[in-house]
Amino acid sequence: MKRIHFVHAAGAATMLLLLAACHKDKPEPPVQGQGQTATGHGVYITNEGNFQWGNASVGWYDPATGQATEDLYAAANGTGMGDVCQSMCLHDGKAYIVLNNSAKVTVVDAETFVATATITGFSSPRYFLPVGNGKAYVTEMSGNKVRVVDLNTSTIIGSIACAGVTQELALAAGKVFITNESKPYVYVVDPATDAITDSVAVSRGGGTLTSDADGMLWVACTGGGGTPAALYRIDPQTVEVANTVPIPGPRISPWRLRANGTGDTLYLLNGDVYRLSITDAAFPSAAFIPANGRNLYGLGIDPLDGNIYVADAIDYVQRGKVYQYAANGAEVGNFLAGRIPNGFVFR
Amino acid sequence: MRLPLWVVALGLLAAKGASGQGAPDTVMLHSVVIQAPRLSDFTSGIKMQVLDSSTMAHYRTASLGDLLRGESPVFIKNYGPGSLATASFRGSGAGHTAILWNGFNIGSPMNGQVDLSLVPAGIADQVRVQYGGAGALWGSGAVGGAVQLNDQPVFSRGLTVDAGASLGSFGDNRQQMLAEWSGAKWISSISAYRSAARNNFEYRNLELRGSPLERQQNAEFRQNGLVAATHLRINEGQQLHLHYWYQHNDRQVPATLLQAASTAEQRDASHRATAEWQRNGARANSYVRAGWFDDRLDWHGAATDSAAQNRSRTFIAEAEMRLRISSTQRIDLGVNNTWADAISDGYPNRLHQNRTAAFAAYRIGSRDQRSSAMASVRQEMVGGVPVPFTWTVGGEHAIAKVLSVKANASRLYRIPTFNDLYWVPGGDPGLLPESGCGGELGLHAKAGLSGDWAVHTEVTGFQRLMDNWIIWLPSGVYWSPRNLMNVWSRGVEARGGITWKKRRTTVKLDVMTNYVRSTNERAKSANDASVGKQLIYVPMYSGHGRITVGHGHVQASVGTDYTGYRYTSTDNLDFLPPYWLLNATVSCRIAKGRGYTVDLLAQGYNLLGESYQVMLGRPMPLQSFNLGLQVHFNRPLRQPLHQE
Repeated sequence: MKRIHFVHAAGAATMLLLLAACHKDKPEPPVQGQGQTATGHGVYITNEGNFQWGNASVGWYDPATGQATEDLYAAANGTGMGDVCQSMCLHDGKAYIVLNNSAKVTVVDAETFVATATITGFSSPRYFLPVGNGKAYVTEMSGNKVRVVDLNTSTIIGSIACAGVTQELALAAGKVFITNESKPYVYVVDPATDAITDSVAVSRGGGTLTSDADGMLWVACTGGGGTPAALYRIDPQTVEVANTVPIPGPRISPWRLRANGTGDTLYLLNGDVYRLSITDAAFPSAAFIPANGRNLYGLGIDPLDGNIYVADAIDYVQRGKVYQYAANGAEVGNFLAGRIPNGFVFR
Repeated sequence: MRLPLWVVALGLLAAKGASGQGAPDTVMLHSVVIQAPRLSDFTSGIKMQVLDSSTMAHYRTASLGDLLRGESPVFIKNYGPGSLATASFRGSGAGHTAILWNGFNIGSPMNGQVDLSLVPAGIADQVRVQYGGAGALWGSGAVGGAVQLNDQPVFSRGLTVDAGASLGSFGDNRQQMLAEWSGAKWISSISAYRSAARNNFEYRNLELRGSPLERQQNAEFRQNGLVAATHLRINEGQQLHLHYWYQHNDRQVPATLLQAASTAEQRDASHRATAEWQRNGARANSYVRAGWFDDRLDWHGAATDSAAQNRSRTFIAEAEMRLRISSTQRIDLGVNNTWADAISDGYPNRLHQNRTAAFAAYRIGSRDQRSSAMASVRQEMVGGVPVPFTWTVGGEHAIAKVLSVKANASRLYRIPTFNDLYWVPGGDPGLLPESGCGGELGLHAKAGLSGDWAVHTEVTGFQRLMDNWIIWLPSGVYWSPRNLMNVWSRGVEARGGITWKKRRTTVKLDVMTNYVRSTNERAKSANDASVGKQLIYVPMYSGHGRITVGHGHVQASVGTDYTGYRYTSTDNLDFLPPYWLLNATVSCRIAKGRGYTVDLLAQGYNLLGESYQVMLGRPMPLQSFNLGLQVHFNRPLRQPLHQE
């Protein structure tokens, strides 16, 4: 019976090892503000989500109560929002959510976040801008065109040919200025005719832009292809560069250029958060808010109180973290966001 | 007989079958080629699973991914039927399992991976799954384990013709045919296969309210392939083995659940040719091998008007000598040179790389054959720069007739791929190789119990630490790979089975359970909540169970697969829920005559219609079925063999 004895010993050892291997694998449900709607003064957080994972979301943070909601859309509509939330735009009580890899713009009630319409027919939409006359422009990463959308019917009614990767866009002096990451130009479109009328030569890698207190436009370019990294101040009346602020440094990728509510101060991400006045001739040598090992991915300035919101996407495969700073750079608080927070929309 | 309590418990818990399903009809006579890859001689202490012809018979038209998912504890990251499938072996990543075809690593030099859905399981006579890295034997990339696809030629077998066809759900149809002439001095075989499916299965879209039934779009695939082999017995001591494998795949790339509709297509084409010359002497065997691989991958997305073209070529040359220094001791010495080049839209120019490795192994066995031990070392140079020196030691000992113990430890590494080093933008030529150590301890018991019962059980605990684990993360506006993670993997694999056999009837219960913890131990950035957390898409628990009843040439089995939570966020807060799949197989021999057999195989998958996703946003089919017919013909050599 000796042989049976060994089999029993081995079997018992098996069972012991299996028992020792008990680590709970069921995750704890995430803690987040439930049932909150976007009412009063606050900030929407656009969470890009992972490409092809369908986990894009829009969160809401109420600075008065300090309460954060991770996903307004899922709570209101019972389904996921889509794939890669590139940006969001508030207009006329509605939020237009640009879902890049779902190739659509979802229209929701800005407060309840209940979906009211879906605009389809894009190839790879990036940014959305109402341009008046019931129209909006939507830039595209591929397809070499900017789409024209009818806001009343929620349909694409036309397109503006523009080769390259078109990015953020802004309305100034009755013209629409469109950045283009793959071309060294900012394009100018007449919203009455939906045609490109002019362009401004800048560096390559232009993607984000904002307007300042003087009604001037600022564009951040990462450079490349023999062109330097720089901020360009463009006069929308003359459609000419009024001022150039070169960005020095060994490892530079200036983007997420934003202005405060009064339009006298610019903020941008360049690894760390940098701040400069619209009258500064040179790029600041020191960071305003150092990244300190964080992966800063989104930036927004509350137009009401000048508070600065900075998003840390961490490793892009977990919940991001948002830091709230006072205008003087002192940390006010922080909260958890959704996956890959990339921007803020204030209300 | 009285079943001990632990047998019952094991049966309730866990695994899977190792032994074959019945004796083959024809007993192989004459001389068998012993094409011993390093593995069989120098694997003392290394856990090995051999998937033999009886198991392979159920996967003749399936992919290697399906075979490993069904028969091994390797977790297959399957993006959907016909879509990309990569391996996670013992909690490792996709580039951490070496796939070897007749001893040659067929991993792409561009991303270090093999798409397991593109490799037909039927390409090999035998599949061997080697657990654990043993990097000294196979070099870079053999971190989680290695999968060997081996040809097993047999001389003097005469004329063999094999033909099979299957029809399955969603327009799935597959055919394969093999013709082989096996004489006393040479063997030549040619096999051709093709498969195609509309693949328009229905699934429940769990991302939408009410989980509506939807139909998969843009997921068709087609595969055509050809394998030719020639084995030549030049003289008493010398043999030559030649292989050529061509394959072409055309497949549509479906959209994920919340993505817009996809019109993307992917085309893969590969040529693989190998040659081996072998000389068997009284004290030493010598081998010289060469392999030439040419892989193309073209991707085209019509909607976004984007396209990507990639091509890589690999040339491997290897010389090896195996010495018998005594009846119990052997030494293996060899050199390997691997040259690779690649062109891609993502590379600044044509890339090339030359790697040279020298390796040596030593094995000693006890005279009573109860114990053996081995040690092997490998030093590789990449472009003249040495990568970590690698070693493996292992041993096994039969404590008793029914109980043996195995243990090994090894140094492991993986060199960065072309994509890691040179992709524009982001690639970093300064990346370090991933490196680490691993080890395992296993017990194996096998016994005939009283009467008609037999039982076997094997339990293995393993551990592995990998440092400088490469991960792609955004840095500014583009992604870049960095040596950021430190991954600690450990776990327990158990499998066992009970067999009852009486005359022509066999009843078998096989159970396998796996427990894998694979955690990141180093913060990637300031707020990283992934420290101490399980890697994404590594299930902590998984298992198979199967009951097989056979009577003569009729066999039926019912099996279930369990896959536990897979986290989809590195902070382990988001997850895909566990799933159970119930599968059944019935096979029977419907005709048998002089030299031929006809077998029928019917298979049903996911019989309970579980709605599940292996990967987030990638739907899997509900029930699916498949019916196959296999004809085997053999005409033995007419003349009796002259004495050799």
